[in-house]
Amino acid sequence: MSPVFSHGRLRLYLLKLLEESPRHGYDVIRLLEDRFMGMYAPSPGTIYPRLQRLEAEGLVTQTKEGGRKVYQITDAGRAELAARHDELDELEAEISGSVHGMAREIRDEVRGTVRDLKQELKQAAREIRREQRHENRSRRDQGGDQRWDWYDQSVDGRLWYFLDRTQKAIRRAQLTEAQVRECAAILDEALERIRNVLKQSPDTEEGSR
Amino acid sequence: MASWTIDEPGKRELDPVDRVLVQLIEGAVSVVGSDGPPTLEVSELQGEPLSVRQEGGALTVDYEHPGRSGLLAWLTSRGKRKAVLTLAVPRDCRVELQVVSASLMAGGLRAPVLAKTVSGEITLAGLGGAAEAETVSGAVQASAISGDLSAATVSGEITVAEGGGSVRAKTISGAIAIDLGPSGDRDIQLSSVSGDLTVRVPEASDLEVKLQSTSGQVASAFGQLELDRTPGRHAARGRLGSGTGRLRASSTSGHVALLRRAPEVL
Repeated sequence: MSPVFSHGRLRLYLLKLLEESPRHGYDVIRLLEDRFMGMYAPSPGTIYPRLQRLEAEGLVTQTKEGGRKVYQITDAGRAELAARHDELDELEAEISGSVHGMAREIRDEVRGTVRDLKQELKQAAREIRREQRHENRSRRDQGGDQRWDWYDQSVDGRLWYFLDRTQKAIRRAQLTEAQVRECAAILDEALERIRNVLKQSPDTEEGSR
Repeated sequence: MASWTIDEPGKRELDPVDRVLVQLIEGAVSVVGSDGPPTLEVSELQGEPLSVRQEGGALTVDYEHPGRSGLLAWLTSRGKRKAVLTLAVPRDCRVELQVVSASLMAGGLRAPVLAKTVSGEITLAGLGGAAEAETVSGAVQASAISGDLSAATVSGEITVAEGGGSVRAKTISGAIAIDLGPSGDRDIQLSSVSGDLTVRVPEASDLEVKLQSTSGQVASAFGQLELDRTPGRHAARGRLGSGTGRLRASSTSGHVALLRRAPEVL
Protein backbone atom coordinates (compact mmCIF):
# COMPACT_ATOMS: atom_id res chain seq x y z
CA MET A 1 0.00 0.00 0.00
CA SER A 2 1.46 3.32 -0.96
CA PRO A 3 1.87 5.81 1.88
CA VAL A 4 0.42 8.56 -0.29
CA PHE A 5 -2.80 6.67 -0.59
CA SER A 6 -3.00 5.72 3.05
CA HIS A 7 -2.25 9.21 4.15
CA GLY A 8 -5.15 10.32 2.01
CA ARG A 9 -7.33 8.13 4.18
CA LEU A 10 -6.81 10.15 7.32
CA ARG A 11 -7.66 13.22 5.36
CA LEU A 12 -10.87 11.51 4.34
CA TYR A 13 -11.62 10.78 7.96
CA LEU A 14 -10.91 14.39 8.96
CA LEU A 15 -13.48 15.48 6.38
CA LYS A 16 -15.97 12.98 7.76
CA LEU A 17 -15.53 14.28 11.31
CA LEU A 18 -16.10 17.82 10.11
CA GLU A 19 -19.10 16.79 8.05
CA GLU A 20 -20.79 15.52 11.22
CA SER A 21 -20.41 18.93 12.79
CA PRO A 22 -18.04 21.94 12.89
CA ARG A 23 -15.33 21.23 15.45
CA HIS A 24 -12.41 22.70 17.38
CA GLY A 25 -9.01 21.34 16.41
CA TYR A 26 -8.68 19.73 19.84
CA ASP A 27 -12.02 17.95 19.45
CA VAL A 28 -10.76 16.56 16.17
CA ILE A 29 -7.70 15.16 17.94
CA ARG A 30 -9.77 13.63 20.73
CA LEU A 31 -12.07 11.96 18.20
CA LEU A 32 -9.10 10.61 16.29
CA GLU A 33 -7.75 9.14 19.50
CA ASP A 34 -11.09 7.41 20.07
CA ARG A 35 -10.94 6.11 16.55
CA PHE A 36 -7.54 4.57 17.22
CA MET A 37 -9.04 3.07 20.39
CA GLY A 38 -6.77 5.18 22.57
CA MET A 39 -3.67 3.53 21.12
CA TYR A 40 -2.46 6.63 19.41
CA ALA A 41 -3.28 10.31 19.65
CA PRO A 42 -1.96 12.44 16.81
CA SER A 43 -0.45 15.64 18.21
CA PRO A 44 -1.57 19.17 17.35
CA GLY A 45 1.72 19.49 15.46
CA THR A 46 0.71 16.73 13.07
CA ILE A 47 -3.00 17.52 12.68
CA TYR A 48 -2.71 21.27 12.33
CA PRO A 49 -0.77 21.24 9.02
CA ARG A 50 -3.30 18.83 7.57
CA LEU A 51 -6.26 20.98 8.51
CA GLN A 52 -4.37 23.89 7.02
CA ARG A 53 -3.87 21.99 3.79
CA LEU A 54 -7.57 21.10 3.62
CA GLU A 55 -8.29 24.77 4.09
CA ALA A 56 -5.89 25.77 1.32
CA GLU A 57 -7.63 23.33 -0.99
CA GLY A 58 -10.98 24.88 -0.18
CA LEU A 59 -12.40 21.72 1.45
CA VAL A 60 -12.83 23.27 4.89
CA THR A 61 -13.09 26.78 6.24
CA GLN A 62 -12.02 28.09 9.58
CA THR A 63 -13.39 30.73 11.94
CA LYS A 64 -12.08 31.96 15.27
CA GLU A 65 -14.29 31.44 18.27
CA GLY A 66 -13.02 32.76 21.60
CA GLY A 67 -9.40 32.50 20.51
CA ARG A 68 -9.75 28.94 19.19
CA LYS A 69 -10.21 27.89 15.62
CA VAL A 70 -13.36 26.13 14.56
CA TYR A 71 -13.19 24.10 11.36
CA GLN A 72 -16.17 23.60 9.09
CA ILE A 73 -16.61 21.55 5.91
CA THR A 74 -17.38 23.36 2.63
CA ASP A 75 -19.51 22.18 -0.30
CA ALA A 76 -16.32 21.19 -2.11
CA GLY A 77 -15.37 19.12 0.95
CA ARG A 78 -18.75 17.41 0.96
CA ALA A 79 -18.38 16.66 -2.74
CA GLU A 80 -14.98 15.02 -2.17
CA LEU A 81 -16.39 12.96 0.67
CA ALA A 82 -19.34 11.82 -1.46
CA ALA A 83 -17.04 10.88 -4.33
CA ARG A 84 -14.92 8.69 -2.06
CA HIS A 85 -17.73 7.16 -0.07
CA ASP A 86 -16.84 3.56 -0.95
CA GLU A 87 -13.27 4.07 0.14
CA LEU A 88 -14.42 5.35 3.50
CA ASP A 89 -16.74 2.38 4.06
CA GLU A 90 -13.95 0.00 3.18
CA LEU A 91 -11.66 1.73 5.62
CA GLU A 92 -14.19 1.53 8.44
CA ALA A 93 -14.78 -2.17 7.82
CA GLU A 94 -11.07 -2.88 7.88
CA ILE A 95 -10.51 -1.07 11.15
CA SER A 96 -13.46 -2.44 13.04
CA GLY A 97 -12.72 -5.94 11.71
CA SER A 98 -9.46 -6.62 13.51
CA VAL A 99 -6.57 -5.35 15.60
CA HIS A 100 -4.49 -6.12 12.56
CA GLY A 101 -6.38 -3.54 10.52
CA MET A 102 -6.07 -1.07 13.37
CA ALA A 103 -2.33 -1.62 13.71
CA ARG A 104 -1.90 -1.14 9.99
CA GLU A 105 -3.96 2.02 10.08
CA ILE A 106 -1.82 3.47 12.88
CA ARG A 107 1.37 2.49 11.07
CA ASP A 108 0.21 4.13 7.87
CA GLU A 109 -0.79 7.24 9.77
CA VAL A 110 2.63 7.49 11.44
CA ARG A 111 4.32 6.86 8.11
CA GLY A 112 2.41 9.73 6.51
CA THR A 113 3.09 12.05 9.44
CA VAL A 114 6.77 11.24 9.37
CA ARG A 115 7.02 11.71 5.63
CA ASP A 116 5.47 15.18 5.87
CA LEU A 117 7.64 16.09 8.82
CA LYS A 118 10.84 14.97 7.11
CA GLN A 119 10.05 17.10 4.11
CA GLU A 120 9.18 20.12 6.22
CA LEU A 121 12.31 19.90 8.38
CA LYS A 122 14.58 19.23 5.42
CA GLN A 123 13.35 22.32 3.68
CA ALA A 124 13.56 24.50 6.79
CA ALA A 125 17.10 23.26 7.47
CA ARG A 126 18.13 24.00 3.91
CA GLU A 127 16.78 27.51 4.25
CA ILE A 128 18.63 28.41 7.43
CA ARG A 129 21.81 26.90 5.99
CA ARG A 130 21.44 29.07 2.92
CA GLU A 131 20.81 32.17 5.02
CA GLN A 132 23.78 31.42 7.19
CA ARG A 133 26.09 30.79 4.26
CA HIS A 134 24.96 34.03 2.78
CA GLU A 135 25.73 35.90 6.01
CA ASN A 136 29.10 34.31 6.22
CA ARG A 137 29.95 35.14 2.66
CA SER A 138 29.14 38.78 3.15
CA ARG A 139 31.12 38.83 6.39
CA ARG A 140 34.28 37.53 4.79
CA ASP A 141 34.55 36.87 1.14
CA GLN A 142 35.98 33.43 1.47
CA GLY A 143 35.32 30.27 3.43
CA GLY A 144 31.94 28.93 2.42
CA ASP A 145 30.83 25.42 2.91
CA GLN A 146 33.70 23.04 3.23
CA ARG A 147 31.83 19.80 3.26
CA TRP A 148 34.22 17.02 2.46
CA ASP A 149 32.46 15.08 -0.21
CA TRP A 150 35.42 12.81 -0.65
CA TYR A 151 34.74 11.46 2.81
CA ASP A 152 31.41 9.95 1.77
CA GLN A 153 32.88 8.41 -1.30
CA SER A 154 35.94 6.90 0.23
CA VAL A 155 34.72 5.64 3.62
CA ASP A 156 30.98 5.35 3.42
CA GLY A 157 31.11 3.82 -0.04
CA ARG A 158 33.68 1.35 1.12
CA LEU A 159 31.58 0.32 4.10
CA TRP A 160 28.71 -0.54 1.80
CA TYR A 161 30.96 -2.30 -0.63
CA PHE A 162 32.31 -4.29 2.29
CA LEU A 163 28.86 -5.28 3.59
CA ASP A 164 27.71 -6.25 0.13
CA ARG A 165 30.76 -8.38 -0.64
CA THR A 166 30.77 -10.01 2.79
CA GLN A 167 27.15 -10.96 2.40
CA LYS A 168 27.83 -12.58 -0.96
CA ALA A 169 30.91 -14.41 0.29
CA ILE A 170 29.20 -15.72 3.43
CA ARG A 171 26.12 -16.82 1.51
CA ARG A 172 28.22 -19.06 -0.65
CA ALA A 173 30.04 -20.68 2.28
CA GLN A 174 28.87 -23.11 4.95
CA LEU A 175 30.11 -21.37 8.07
CA THR A 176 31.76 -23.36 10.81
CA GLU A 177 31.96 -22.04 14.35
CA ALA A 178 35.70 -21.58 14.08
CA GLN A 179 35.29 -19.55 10.91
CA VAL A 180 32.69 -17.35 12.55
CA ARG A 181 35.03 -16.73 15.46
CA GLU A 182 37.89 -15.90 13.15
CA CYS A 183 35.75 -13.48 11.12
CA ALA A 184 34.63 -11.78 14.32
CA ALA A 185 38.26 -11.36 15.40
CA ILE A 186 39.15 -9.76 12.05
CA LEU A 187 36.27 -7.31 12.43
CA ASP A 188 37.31 -6.44 15.99
CA GLU A 189 40.84 -5.82 14.86
CA ALA A 190 39.72 -3.63 11.96
CA LEU A 191 37.58 -1.57 14.31
CA GLU A 192 40.46 -1.17 16.75
CA ARG A 193 42.79 -0.02 13.99
CA ILE A 194 40.24 2.46 12.65
CA ARG A 195 39.83 3.85 16.14
CA ASN A 196 43.58 4.28 16.43
CA VAL A 197 43.72 6.14 13.14
CA LEU A 198 40.93 8.47 14.28
CA LYS A 199 42.66 9.09 17.61
CA GLN A 200 45.54 10.70 15.73
CA SER A 201 43.21 13.23 14.12
CA PRO A 202 43.08 16.65 15.80
CA ASP A 203 39.31 16.95 15.36
CA THR A 204 38.12 14.26 17.70
CA GLU A 205 38.75 15.41 21.21
CA GLU A 206 34.96 15.47 21.46
CA GLY A 207 33.54 12.19 20.26
CA SER A 208 30.01 11.45 19.16
CA ARG A 209 28.91 9.63 22.28
CA MET B 1 2.47 -23.79 30.59
CA ALA B 2 0.38 -23.69 27.43
CA SER B 3 2.13 -24.24 24.12
CA TRP B 4 0.89 -24.78 20.62
CA THR B 5 1.92 -24.33 17.01
CA ILE B 6 0.29 -22.22 14.32
CA ASP B 7 0.44 -23.40 10.74
CA GLU B 8 -2.27 -21.29 9.14
CA PRO B 9 -3.66 -17.76 9.45
CA GLY B 10 -6.17 -17.29 12.25
CA LYS B 11 -7.03 -15.48 15.44
CA ARG B 12 -6.86 -16.73 19.00
CA GLU B 13 -7.55 -15.31 22.43
CA LEU B 14 -4.70 -15.64 24.91
CA ASP B 15 -4.33 -16.09 28.65
CA PRO B 16 -3.42 -12.88 30.51
CA VAL B 17 0.04 -11.59 29.49
CA ASP B 18 2.44 -9.07 30.98
CA ARG B 19 5.49 -9.79 28.82
CA VAL B 20 5.84 -10.63 25.14
CA LEU B 21 8.82 -11.92 23.19
CA VAL B 22 8.57 -12.41 19.42
CA GLN B 23 11.46 -13.76 17.36
CA LEU B 24 10.81 -14.14 13.65
CA ILE B 25 12.64 -14.01 10.35
CA GLU B 26 10.61 -12.22 7.70
CA GLY B 27 7.18 -10.58 7.56
CA ALA B 28 5.63 -8.06 9.93
CA VAL B 29 4.96 -7.94 13.66
CA SER B 30 2.61 -5.43 15.26
CA VAL B 31 1.87 -5.14 18.96
CA VAL B 32 -0.80 -2.76 20.15
CA GLY B 33 -2.00 -1.98 23.65
CA SER B 34 -5.70 -2.53 24.13
CA ASP B 35 -8.29 -2.70 26.90
CA GLY B 36 -9.80 -5.88 25.49
CA PRO B 37 -8.61 -9.46 26.01
CA PRO B 38 -5.14 -10.30 24.68
CA THR B 39 -5.30 -11.78 21.19
CA LEU B 40 -2.91 -13.12 18.60
CA GLU B 41 -3.88 -12.70 14.98
CA VAL B 42 -1.82 -14.33 12.24
CA SER B 43 -2.77 -13.00 8.85
CA GLU B 44 -0.06 -14.54 6.70
CA LEU B 45 2.21 -17.53 7.13
CA GLN B 46 4.75 -19.14 4.81
CA GLY B 47 7.26 -21.87 5.53
CA GLU B 48 7.74 -23.31 9.01
CA PRO B 49 4.85 -23.17 11.55
CA LEU B 50 5.11 -20.74 14.45
CA SER B 51 5.62 -21.95 17.97
CA VAL B 52 3.69 -20.17 20.75
CA ARG B 53 4.30 -20.65 24.47
CA GLN B 54 2.64 -19.07 27.46
CA GLU B 55 4.12 -19.48 30.88
CA GLY B 56 2.90 -17.29 33.71
CA GLY B 57 2.41 -13.93 32.08
CA ALA B 58 5.18 -14.47 29.56
CA LEU B 59 4.24 -15.08 25.94
CA THR B 60 6.79 -16.23 23.40
CA VAL B 61 6.23 -16.50 19.66
CA ASP B 62 9.06 -17.93 17.58
CA TYR B 63 10.15 -20.94 15.53
CA GLU B 64 10.87 -24.34 16.95
CA HIS B 65 14.12 -24.37 15.02
CA PRO B 66 15.30 -20.80 15.31
CA GLY B 67 18.61 -21.27 13.49
CA ARG B 68 20.95 -18.33 13.44
CA SER B 69 19.74 -14.99 14.64
CA GLY B 70 20.53 -11.39 13.84
CA LEU B 71 22.66 -10.20 10.97
CA LEU B 72 24.21 -13.60 10.41
CA ALA B 73 20.79 -15.16 9.84
CA TRP B 74 20.02 -12.52 7.26
CA LEU B 75 23.33 -13.03 5.53
CA THR B 76 22.91 -16.79 5.38
CA SER B 77 19.15 -17.22 5.04
CA ARG B 78 18.00 -19.49 2.27
CA GLY B 79 14.50 -20.88 2.74
CA LYS B 80 11.59 -18.52 3.18
CA ARG B 81 10.04 -18.24 6.65
CA LYS B 82 7.54 -15.45 6.65
CA ALA B 83 4.83 -14.49 9.12
CA VAL B 84 2.59 -11.46 9.48
CA LEU B 85 1.08 -11.22 12.94
CA THR B 86 -0.59 -8.76 15.26
CA LEU B 87 -0.80 -8.99 19.03
CA ALA B 88 -3.25 -7.05 21.17
CA VAL B 89 -1.95 -6.90 24.74
CA PRO B 90 -2.65 -4.89 27.90
CA ARG B 91 -1.12 -1.43 27.80
CA ASP B 92 1.38 -2.17 30.55
CA CYS B 93 2.75 -5.31 28.90
CA ARG B 94 6.50 -5.32 28.22
CA VAL B 95 7.31 -6.04 24.59
CA GLU B 96 10.44 -7.42 22.98
CA LEU B 97 10.58 -7.98 19.22
CA GLN B 98 13.63 -9.44 17.49
CA VAL B 99 13.35 -10.21 13.82
CA VAL B 100 15.58 -10.41 10.78
CA SER B 101 13.91 -8.63 7.90
CA ALA B 102 10.39 -8.15 9.22
CA SER B 103 8.92 -4.72 9.81
CA LEU B 104 7.93 -3.95 13.38
CA MET B 105 5.24 -1.80 14.90
CA ALA B 106 4.39 -1.07 18.55
CA GLY B 107 1.64 1.29 19.60
CA GLY B 108 -0.43 2.36 22.56
CA LEU B 109 1.80 0.88 25.26
CA ARG B 110 3.02 2.23 28.60
CA ALA B 111 5.65 -0.39 29.40
CA PRO B 112 9.14 -0.65 27.86
CA VAL B 113 9.39 -1.72 24.22
CA LEU B 114 12.44 -3.20 22.53
CA ALA B 115 12.38 -3.60 18.74
CA LYS B 116 15.28 -5.03 16.77
CA THR B 117 15.39 -5.86 13.08
CA VAL B 118 18.16 -6.07 10.53
CA SER B 119 16.52 -4.73 7.43
CA GLY B 120 12.93 -3.97 8.38
CA GLU B 121 11.25 -0.70 9.20
CA ILE B 122 10.34 0.11 12.82
CA THR B 123 7.24 2.13 13.69
CA LEU B 124 6.57 3.36 17.21
CA ALA B 125 3.37 5.20 18.05
CA GLY B 126 1.87 6.45 21.27
CA LEU B 127 4.42 4.94 23.67
CA GLY B 128 4.74 5.97 27.32
CA GLY B 129 7.53 3.69 28.51
CA ALA B 130 11.16 3.51 27.46
CA ALA B 131 11.49 2.48 23.83
CA GLU B 132 14.53 1.05 22.11
CA ALA B 133 14.72 0.56 18.34
CA GLU B 134 17.60 -0.94 16.43
CA THR B 135 17.87 -1.66 12.72
CA VAL B 136 20.71 -1.87 10.23
CA SER B 137 19.19 -0.69 6.98
CA GLY B 138 15.56 -0.05 7.86
CA ALA B 139 14.04 3.25 8.92
CA VAL B 140 12.83 4.11 12.41
CA GLN B 141 9.72 6.27 12.55
CA ALA B 142 8.07 7.36 15.75
CA SER B 143 5.19 9.60 16.66
CA ALA B 144 3.69 10.68 19.99
CA ILE B 145 6.46 9.20 22.14
CA SER B 146 6.22 10.48 25.70
CA GLY B 147 8.78 8.12 27.22
CA ASP B 148 12.51 7.99 26.57
CA LEU B 149 13.55 6.78 23.13
CA SER B 150 16.75 5.21 22.00
CA ALA B 151 17.21 4.48 18.28
CA ALA B 152 20.16 3.18 16.30
CA THR B 153 20.60 2.41 12.60
CA VAL B 154 23.45 1.99 10.15
CA SER B 155 21.91 3.37 6.98
CA GLY B 156 18.26 3.84 7.91
CA GLU B 157 16.67 7.20 8.60
CA ILE B 158 15.41 8.02 12.09
CA THR B 159 12.44 10.34 12.30
CA VAL B 160 10.57 11.33 15.44
CA ALA B 161 7.41 13.41 15.32
CA GLU B 162 6.43 14.79 18.69
CA GLY B 163 9.08 13.39 21.00
CA GLY B 164 8.31 14.05 24.65
CA GLY B 165 11.10 12.44 26.66
CA SER B 166 14.82 12.02 26.26
CA VAL B 167 16.08 10.87 22.86
CA ARG B 168 19.27 9.09 21.92
CA ALA B 169 19.63 8.49 18.21
CA LYS B 170 22.65 7.15 16.42
CA THR B 171 23.28 6.37 12.78
CA ILE B 172 26.13 5.99 10.34
CA SER B 173 24.78 7.22 7.02
CA GLY B 174 21.05 7.69 7.66
CA ALA B 175 19.53 11.08 8.37
CA ILE B 176 18.01 11.94 11.74
CA ALA B 177 15.06 14.35 11.95
CA ILE B 178 13.45 15.03 15.30
CA ASP B 179 10.58 17.28 16.24
CA LEU B 180 10.40 17.83 19.98
CA GLY B 181 7.30 18.76 21.90
CA PRO B 182 7.44 21.05 24.90
CA SER B 183 9.06 19.50 27.95
CA GLY B 184 11.68 20.53 30.48
CA ASP B 185 14.31 18.25 31.84
CA ARG B 186 15.53 15.98 29.12
CA ASP B 187 18.59 14.77 27.40
CA ILE B 188 18.76 14.70 23.59
CA GLN B 189 21.81 13.07 22.04
CA LEU B 190 22.12 12.65 18.29
CA SER B 191 25.07 11.41 16.35
CA SER B 192 25.91 10.38 12.81
CA VAL B 193 28.88 9.83 10.56
CA SER B 194 27.57 11.10 7.24
CA GLY B 195 23.83 11.51 7.83
CA ASP B 196 22.32 14.97 8.36
CA LEU B 197 20.97 15.80 11.83
CA THR B 198 17.94 18.06 12.10
CA VAL B 199 16.18 18.97 15.35
CA ARG B 200 13.24 21.24 15.79
CA VAL B 201 12.39 22.49 19.27
CA PRO B 202 9.64 24.78 20.55
CA GLU B 203 10.47 28.45 20.69
CA ALA B 204 10.26 28.37 24.47
CA SER B 205 12.76 25.61 25.24
CA ASP B 206 15.05 25.12 28.20
CA LEU B 207 18.09 23.49 26.72
CA GLU B 208 21.81 23.71 27.02
CA VAL B 209 22.91 23.18 23.41
CA LYS B 210 26.05 21.89 21.77
CA LEU B 211 26.04 21.14 18.03
CA GLN B 212 29.02 20.16 15.98
CA SER B 213 30.15 18.74 12.68
CA THR B 214 33.66 18.13 11.45
CA SER B 215 33.01 18.87 7.80
CA GLY B 216 29.28 19.51 7.51
CA GLN B 217 27.61 22.82 8.14
CA VAL B 218 26.14 23.68 11.53
CA ALA B 219 23.17 26.04 11.43
CA SER B 220 20.85 27.33 14.14
CA ALA B 221 17.62 29.27 14.00
CA PHE B 222 18.28 30.56 17.51
CA GLY B 223 20.37 33.72 17.42
CA GLN B 224 21.54 33.32 21.02
CA LEU B 225 23.79 30.39 20.15
CA GLU B 226 27.41 31.17 19.51
CA LEU B 227 28.71 29.86 16.19
CA ASP B 228 32.24 28.64 15.75
CA ARG B 229 33.42 28.02 12.20
CA THR B 230 37.05 27.07 12.37
CA PRO B 231 38.05 24.76 9.51
CA GLY B 232 37.62 21.14 10.46
CA ARG B 233 35.11 21.93 13.13
CA HIS B 234 31.82 23.74 12.85
CA ALA B 235 30.04 24.15 16.12
CA ALA B 236 27.28 26.05 17.86
CA ARG B 237 26.76 26.24 21.57
CA GLY B 238 24.80 28.14 24.10
CA ARG B 239 21.72 28.10 26.26
CA LEU B 240 18.04 28.34 25.44
CA GLY B 241 15.77 29.44 28.28
CA SER B 242 16.95 28.19 31.66
CA GLY B 243 19.03 25.41 30.10
CA THR B 244 17.74 22.61 32.33
CA GLY B 245 17.66 20.06 29.50
CA ARG B 246 20.52 19.07 27.26
CA LEU B 247 20.84 18.84 23.49
CA ARG B 248 23.92 17.38 21.84
CA ALA B 249 24.15 16.74 18.12
CA SER B 250 27.37 15.66 16.57
CA SER B 251 28.25 14.49 13.08
CA THR B 252 31.40 13.80 11.11
CA SER B 253 30.39 14.93 7.64
CA GLY B 254 26.64 15.47 7.95
CA HIS B 255 24.98 18.84 8.30
CA VAL B 256 23.55 19.73 11.71
CA ALA B 257 20.58 22.09 11.99
CA LEU B 258 18.59 23.34 14.94
CA LEU B 259 15.18 24.69 13.98
CA ARG B 260 12.58 26.66 15.86
CA ARG B 261 8.97 25.57 16.08
CA ALA B 262 6.40 28.31 16.28
CA PRO B 263 3.56 27.73 18.76
CA GLU B 264 0.46 26.32 17.09
CA VAL B 265 -3.03 27.62 17.51
CA LEU B 266 -5.58 24.94 16.83
